[in-house]
Amino acid sequence: MLLRRIYQFLIIYCAGILLLFLLKYGLQLSDYVIPSPIELWQTGCAEFVRYFKDVADTLRVAVIGQIISVIFAFIVGIAGRKATWVGSIVKVAAYNVQAYPIVALAPIIFILLGDGFIARLLIASMICYFPILLSVIGIMSEPVVDIEHFYRCTGRLRWQLEVKIRAFENLNKLTTVISGSATLAMAGTIVAEFIAANAGIGYSIRIALYQSDLARILSALFVIGITLSVYQGLLEWAGALIKKGWET
Amino acid sequence: MFLSCENLTLKYSHNGLPVLDNLCFEITTPGLHALFGHSGAGKTSLARLLTGELPVSDKFSSGAIKIRNMKTLLYSYNTERLPGWSAISHHLDKITPASRKTQKDDLITLFGLEPYMDQPFNRLSLGQKNRINLVRYLVQDFDLLVMDESLANVDERMREKIILNIKTLYPDRLLLYISHNLIEVAKFCDQIIVLRAVTRQPQCIVVQGQNHRGYQPTAQLPERTMLELMNAA
Repeated sequence: MLLRRIYQFLIIYCAGILLLFLLKYGLQLSDYVIPSPIELWQTGCAEFVRYFKDVADTLRVAVIGQIISVIFAFIVGIAGRKATWVGSIVKVAAYNVQAYPIVALAPIIFILLGDGFIARLLIASMICYFPILLSVIGIMSEPVVDIEHFYRCTGRLRWQLEVKIRAFENLNKLTTVISGSATLAMAGTIVAEFIAANAGIGYSIRIALYQSDLARILSALFVIGITLSVYQGLLEWAGALIKKGWET
Repeated sequence: MFLSCENLTLKYSHNGLPVLDNLCFEITTPGLHALFGHSGAGKTSLARLLTGELPVSDKFSSGAIKIRNMKTLLYSYNTERLPGWSAISHHLDKITPASRKTQKDDLITLFGLEPYMDQPFNRLSLGQKNRINLVRYLVQDFDLLVMDESLANVDERMREKIILNIKTLYPDRLLLYISHNLIEVAKFCDQIIVLRAVTRQPQCIVVQGQNHRGYQPTAQLPERTMLELMNAA
């Protein structure tokens, strides 16, 4: 699972780099526009440790943001699963708010909170929160009739049992959503760092962008991709372990 | 113990087509009775109306269901499942009232389910699943239990054994058995409510079953009742 993620990323990354080199040599572009393979390799070796530390910093914010999002999404999703007026309000609000590009609110957050850790965390959480919330609401508001029927008609269906049944029956979906939301959290944090932060890989990419240094940007993308693949692979592995442990 | 339907009418909510039309019947004695009829005749809908899972008076249904001396009405069906996170014994222990622990153990033995108690539900065969599901309903406090194809995929001998034991163990309860097995229904049930196509009137006819109470290896097949059922349906 973990290795498969890494292989997949390496294949896509190499294909992308190959395409760039085809463009470079096909259109005879200068090293200033697209660096040569040797320059790319040298930059990658020189910057790897620094970028790895930056990605680790970004990932730390993304992981905390994702955990906060998952917790909130479950709380609101469980509260909004019923066909009551509360549930309807939560669903309608979630669908409408998620239609708005949350990242557009980032400047307001930076104005209000400054460019530190909290602003990055808040943006990361907001970007991955709504997709998780919609999935959780969808899963939690869909009855598993064949299992719930007995408990319902004998008066034993407490909300905890209802949530447990629905979560268990949709564990694969939940794992996929949570694992997929890692990308969103990471994207949210990087976007926040692009805009105004003074740390993280987004900040480093922004500096490289100002210098038009594609070799550094590509090196940063490599480290981001590898790190995110490992993180997602670990999430999927943890999900599989939970499922296995829960079923036996 | 009394259950009656008076001019019961039901339309499907999704297309407005009638499924029950002016249905009238009554059951006045406890024991094993049957709902019999072709697929789509409305047996499940009727069972769900009787147990209160569908409302009797709304824009899709009308008429009256009268129930006397019965408080707890349960409806069980054959595709029900137990949650998969622990063994069957764990689930059964949790839903069995303390006073019925012995009864639960007896039923597990009678239904031939002892070897499967430590397994998760999804590893069992369909017949085993249905027997487990029936056990958990039988250990509840009920006055009426509808068994909608509850013994589907169970082999003949075991079905016969289960039906006879249920009749012996619950003589004072009303058991309404939905099955497509003509011989079984004719042989073991008391009153057989035959549901016919909605276009035929009366839509339902009550046939008297043989109501066998013990194991009779040499008993004749209840041909007469079977013929009546086939003609009625």
